Amino acid sequence: MTPTVPELLTGNFLAMLDAPPAESTGDFMQARIGVTGMISLLCAQEAERGIEARAWENTAIRALLAASAPTYGEAFAEAAEGEDHDVSLAAMDRANAALRRSLIDLHIAVETARDAALDTAIRQLYVKMADARRLDLPPMPAS
Amino acid sequence: MSLQTQLEAYLTRTLGAPAVVTMLSRIPGGASRETYRFDVEVGGELKRLILRRDPVGSLIDTDRRLEFLAFRSFFGSGLPVPEAVALEEEGAELERPFFIMGRIDGGKAQSPFTLPPYGEHAETIGQQFYSHLGAIAAADPATLPIAEVATIPAPEGCWKKELDYWEGVINEDEQHPQPIVRACIRRLRANPPPPAQRLSVVHGDYRTGNFMHDGAGKVIALLDWEMAHIGDPLEDLGWAMEPLWCYGETDRVSGMLPRAQAIAIWEAASGLTVDLKAFAWWELFASVKGQAIWTSAAKEYRAGGFKDPVLALSGWYTARRQDVILADRLAALEALS
Repeated sequence: MTPTVPELLTGNFLAMLDAPPAESTGDFMQARIGVTGMISLLCAQEAERGIEARAWENTAIRALLAASAPTYGEAFAEAAEGEDHDVSLAAMDRANAALRRSLIDLHIAVETARDAALDTAIRQLYVKMADARRLDLPPMPAS
Repeated sequence: MSLQTQLEAYLTRTLGAPAVVTMLSRIPGGASRETYRFDVEVGGELKRLILRRDPVGSLIDTDRRLEFLAFRSFFGSGLPVPEAVALEEEGAELERPFFIMGRIDGGKAQSPFTLPPYGEHAETIGQQFYSHLGAIAAADPATLPIAEVATIPAPEGCWKKELDYWEGVINEDEQHPQPIVRACIRRLRANPPPPAQRLSVVHGDYRTGNFMHDGAGKVIALLDWEMAHIGDPLEDLGWAMEPLWCYGETDRVSGMLPRAQAIAIWEAASGLTVDLKAFAWWELFASVKGQAIWTSAAKEYRAGGFKDPVLALSGWYTARRQDVILADRLAALEALS
């Protein structure tokens, strides 16, 4: 998923590096600092949960593709091959991108076949995928 | 040359007298235009104004003439909309396209990510918020300045025009495959809504955070018309009720009102009846449109050298939150038959 944690933290640094023009100090800069702080906080969540979420998602998609191959084609079995040996976020995202493309293709095939049971299973998988990557904002009271 | 000097040069030329700009200050929030408040004194008269200038990189690619004419369409109509004063599509002294509008002081625009955004005034603000939206839907767009430039779709083509556009944005800007929003788009295409009951001005970004209130329960300015167009008025209602804009709220849409109450207020003001099946389409569409915007934000964040943290947050946190909403909506749909 984009942007990545290294990009976000580099961006936080770059956002504060240049002196702002006079008209962009005050409220604007205060808000900007607040957003960069929030990004740092969320990056900490991603560092803590991100690898586990990607490992789970990649494994779940591989299992679904493999299980669907007898009905929807061996190409899905081939797409399901492999394991996440490199568990860096970048490497797992590369594998995830390929797996997600195959998942999209599988879902289209399932819809075309009017396979209600597998369609429902895929939609339930989407719920879990989205939840696994969820980021939680801290409570922020209204001003 | 500083922005203040550029503004003074522009205003001196166009107003025909020496203009002195003071209190120039950028307003936080929003990534589609740079927004500044300033005062200008010309011939002993003080004007309080807002400058909206195109950024180098933007969350969304929009037509500033259309936004300018949208303000003109509703200024003086009884809705709290600021006056559009001047438009420079070539940028003139400011080097980038911009427009200037009147400033309404004494209010604040609340972030949709705060809890609770409107406190004890939520219901009062909600009544105005949905009533004003209904009034926008009730206006005949053919009689308004926005009709000078806006495309007028056929009632049966509103949904396709919007879906084609936002799917195109995802196709162009996506940097990581998104199976959830893709599945939602296919569902929308396979189950189109009925034709629009009426063609209306669609604000395009009518939501928590895009209006100002006075802190005592009165809505004083409807802002951010940069995505205005003509289309199905249910589009705006779906966007206003998008769960993204009521963070942490489960029983009040927009952090303001129970859903049924909001719909009833909108129906009374618009003179329309909400077809719940059609509205379900536009609600799912709203979540798809949101994800398209966050997809563009991520791309622009990279393209801009990672310097705009608002684009970063939009393209990352908000995109993740939108995926949760999309997946929940998709799971709640009927099974294939």
